[in-house]
Amino acid sequence: MNRYLKLVNFEFNRFFKVYLALIGITILSQLIGVFYEAGNYVSKANHSIYNQLMSKSDFITQYQPMSLVRIIIGTPWFIGPIVFSVAVLLIYVFFIWYRDWLGKNTFSYRLLMLPTARINIYLAKATTILLFVFGLVALQLLLFISECWILQWMVPNEFRIDNSITEIINSEYLFRVLFPRSFLEFLLTYAIGITAVFMIFTAILFERSYRIKGIIFGIIYVFLSIVIFFVPILLQVFIFKNYFYPVELFFMEVVTGLIVLTGAIWIGNYLIKNKVMA
Amino acid sequence: MIEVKEVSKGFGRKKVLNGVSFTAEKGKITSLIGINGVGKTTIMKAIMNLIPINRGEIFIDGEKLSEKSYEKITFIPDAITLLPQMRIGEAFIFMADFYDSWNEERANELLQFFKLKKSDRISELSKGNTAKVNLLLGLALDVDYILMDEPFSGIDIFSREQIANVFTSHLIEDRGVIITTHEINDIEHLIDKVVLLDNGVVLKEFETEEVRENEGKSVIDVMREVYRA
Repeated sequence: MNRYLKLVNFEFNRFFKVYLALIGITILSQLIGVFYEAGNYVSKANHSIYNQLMSKSDFITQYQPMSLVRIIIGTPWFIGPIVFSVAVLLIYVFFIWYRDWLGKNTFSYRLLMLPTARINIYLAKATTILLFVFGLVALQLLLFISECWILQWMVPNEFRIDNSITEIINSEYLFRVLFPRSFLEFLLTYAIGITAVFMIFTAILFERSYRIKGIIFGIIYVFLSIVIFFVPILLQVFIFKNYFYPVELFFMEVVTGLIVLTGAIWIGNYLIKNKVMA
Repeated sequence: MIEVKEVSKGFGRKKVLNGVSFTAEKGKITSLIGINGVGKTTIMKAIMNLIPINRGEIFIDGEKLSEKSYEKITFIPDAITLLPQMRIGEAFIFMADFYDSWNEERANELLQFFKLKKSDRISELSKGNTAKVNLLLGLALDVDYILMDEPFSGIDIFSREQIANVFTSHLIEDRGVIITTHEINDIEHLIDKVVLLDNGVVLKEFETEEVRENEGKSVIDVMREVYRA
């Protein structure tokens, strides 16, 4: 346990600079977006009302009131850095392994020769990825709140619609995925995410164990895992034709999901313990 | 004692080890000798469970390798096993963090012996100094067995001498060492036992002292006989 936590700490520090950069890009881009769009809007309003003598209500009718949702939907300031961060983390799911193996570096030797169960290396890498994901998700929630305040401070009341966090989340598909509405949905979304990370890790270990043949094994393994996961839905659609109640289907999905998750960790443990090549 | 019993390993269709057996005792320096590609590194990796073997068994003091064994046996490969961006001091912290057998005092002693500084960044060291740090990280562990893969390859003459001096010092005493080399000259006078390998099989296993006393032959003489036969 102790060495597992040390490994998590070690892995976390190795990516921390890049992670800080991601945080910085996200904060900067979104804040610049809010300041720029709100500032533009206010100066347009000033110009229309004071120079062109347009009434407030005419301006609002013509240009629509300002809101955070409007900036989120209409500009790339918000989605851009989030998509970028997601892409970087997705790449890092692979790179967190390959950086230890590739190049002149023989750090993989050191990792595999640590006096601890090798599964701890696997679990520590997964934990690190999850910490990064949850960190960014929490940051985004805090950013939403502070951006609402900035908008309230910059744009006068009558020109503005104050969005609730729920409205903001509902405005974008990506947000609806990242911030599920109920706790159950949250558990499900992130359980699927976590399972996917473990599945990719195990596929990578297939490649690191059997090299070229391992790529084929890895692809077959991922394919089978996905099939197992969707077995209840496949049965429902193709064989039993809507025989199951939704709640039954849901529990069957939970079971197959758990099978895939434990399968990934079990196979991963076997590979890293017995088959992996440094 | 390290016992390698009938170990076979193939990569694809190529058989790298074909029933290799030998032993390496504590308190002795055993050298695996053979030309490049003969399977020396593969044997070391197999002992450390860094590659799976197809057949055979390996025992360390009568037990199969487990995670606890890494406090008892260590492997110094021909490239450094810590991150190049680390400073030597950070490498020390890493080792101290993960290994109960890390001996900080001995690490500092070796640091002085090799004239290195904790503030040196690994990536900025010369090849010779990188090899010394690599050696240091292995030797500073209080382990019973040390495996070294080509510790002299590509290193300048002065560094070679320094490293060779380590073998005659208290740093090695009482430990079991397996060392691979394809240049025997550097260490001929140091080694207690030789395992000659070719094409994945052990051609001959002998004690240097015995051969010297009974047959009046040096290691190189025996190598000539075996490889030219």
